[in-house]
Amino acid sequence: MPTDLPNGPRSGASIAVRDLHVAYGGTRVLHGVSIDFTPGSFTALLGSSGCGKTTLLRSLSGFVPVQSGSIVVGGQDVASLPPEKRGMAMVFQSYALWPHMTVLQNIGYGLKLRGVSRAEIATKVSAMLAMLGLSGYEDRKVTALSGGQRQRVALGRALAIDPGILLLDEPLSNLDAKIRMVMRHEIRAIQQRLGLTAVHVTHDREEAMTMADRLVIMQAGTIAQVGTPEEVYDRPATAFVANFMGAENVLPLRVARSEAGASFSTGDATALVSSEAAQALPAGEAVAYFRDDVARLDAADAVAGGDLLVPGRIAARAYPGGVYRYRVEAAGRQITVDDADRHELGTTIGLRIPLQRLHIFPASEAGIAA
Amino acid sequence: MSLSQRHLALILIAPGLMLVAALFLYPLCFSLISAFSGPDGSFTLQWFAKAFELYSTDIVFTVVIVLASCALTALAAIVIAGTLTLGENPYIVGTLKALYRWPLFIPFIVAAQCMRTFLAKNGLMNNTFVSLGLMEPLQAVSFLDWRGIIATFVWKQTPFVALLLAGALASIDRATLEAGRNLGASRMRVLIELALPQVMPTLLVALVLSFVTMLSVLSVPMMVSGSQPTMLTVDMAFRINAYGDYATANALGVITYLISAGAAILYLKRGMSQEAPR
Repeated sequence: MPTDLPNGPRSGASIAVRDLHVAYGGTRVLHGVSIDFTPGSFTALLGSSGCGKTTLLRSLSGFVPVQSGSIVVGGQDVASLPPEKRGMAMVFQSYALWPHMTVLQNIGYGLKLRGVSRAEIATKVSAMLAMLGLSGYEDRKVTALSGGQRQRVALGRALAIDPGILLLDEPLSNLDAKIRMVMRHEIRAIQQRLGLTAVHVTHDREEAMTMADRLVIMQAGTIAQVGTPEEVYDRPATAFVANFMGAENVLPLRVARSEAGASFSTGDATALVSSEAAQALPAGEAVAYFRDDVARLDAADAVAGGDLLVPGRIAARAYPGGVYRYRVEAAGRQITVDDADRHELGTTIGLRIPLQRLHIFPASEAGIAA
Repeated sequence: MSLSQRHLALILIAPGLMLVAALFLYPLCFSLISAFSGPDGSFTLQWFAKAFELYSTDIVFTVVIVLASCALTALAAIVIAGTLTLGENPYIVGTLKALYRWPLFIPFIVAAQCMRTFLAKNGLMNNTFVSLGLMEPLQAVSFLDWRGIIATFVWKQTPFVALLLAGALASIDRATLEAGRNLGASRMRVLIELALPQVMPTLLVALVLSFVTMLSVLSVPMMVSGSQPTMLTVDMAFRINAYGDYATANALGVITYLISAGAAILYLKRGMSQEAPR
């Protein structure tokens, strides 16, 4: 096997974004974003449509003009440089392969631009194809490839120029589910092997969690939270993040502090927490977020123990497989709960929620998501 | 389909068919036959011999003029369409977008008249140069010859080719152009190496259509350049108007058909080689 392809970990470049403002026409899209990407890290930009995640990626790559702020790559501010001078390789959602070129010409184009000889291009491309599992595909037309193969070629084209930074713009969203799973692992493995700094834009939560070692949750042109997948999932910083990360059930709460700790009440249910745990809680009106799978259905008159036991009534039931999914009316809200047992509609039950699994925010802050 | 429906279909298309037959097929066949018929009605090539004897220079002149105009039109259209697609200065792009289509709405004869006043020895262009002090009045020369014909053709056909080309460029996946710039290609290289190859079929269609159009224009060579050598359309008009020599004029017409058929064949051949699997 040719040895031209760098196998050992190379150092990816660092990116420091400071106070970045971007607008399209008169519409402001990014409102002063500041974030660092350390060399060799894999960061996923996650958020709903229109949150500015793609704009942030495109301003890194130079396709969106920056209003103010800086993008420092390896000590140099590239914010005013055109895309071709930035040395970042990008993989596009539509693959963006050139249909009039073969696989060899597509992957070798960046090398051709850098004045690499034909023989050397052929060697490098063949090594790249071997790494991507596409050996012998050099002379195929890209229009004759499947979606997964096209995305591999697009990845190879980006990697062929030995970039320090790899930008991924929803690269997997056009692939079918099975190939998407495979490509997640392949992209992650290649990124780690080459030590690249990768920035991945996606709206797929699971994709972001499984591929990245750091998530950046964006909301309306600002960064809502930065952290490891565990941090963002288990300790969301805001109501928006909690909701976005899948805690879609919402319960209004009243938190009353006392000497012994604090008590929550929602509807007819009350629970007490120790003063230690109460430190982090807001006082007064609050909103609790929790996932479908953390609550259980129990008898209406069961002992609450350390949990919050909210009386409710089963309004609907579905069987998505494995567990039953119930819609429960409790505390004036519709709550979705997964439970292993089958219960009849209309049954009065107690909704048991472990207190430590609730994400509690002041009601004033939760206005958007609740 | 039953027989009566078939008849109905024929009746429905009959008016159109008759119009094509009466206004196109009949004159075409008539001119073809008369080009190959002697005074006694027998088959002859004498009109072609005469046409080549008198006008072989003009045949070459016509082909060269039209090919040169096509090449320059392609170049100008690529510059305009490329600027419209890849330009980053909104003022330049906006101005160009508003202006470039205007010549489309101006007839050839008006364009030729404009060029006469613009390119003549004492025309607008030379007068402007003189008044700007760029040249002496004595140095002024007329451009009303082959250069004038090419200038008029290019001016008139560029918007048409640019319109089709800009449409085709706008419809290709923009990410394919961004991918090129991302890998380090300048905008010029992106246009030439990545964008144009994707719209080549459209450019060729536009150029073949322009080729045939330019081949058939009478007013421009007649008005811009009255002198010899001139284009075949002028020769045809001259044979008919001056001598009532329909036979030689028809022979020149057949030669024109063959030249435009040549362009069509070149285009079709290229299209087929692209379709064929490699």
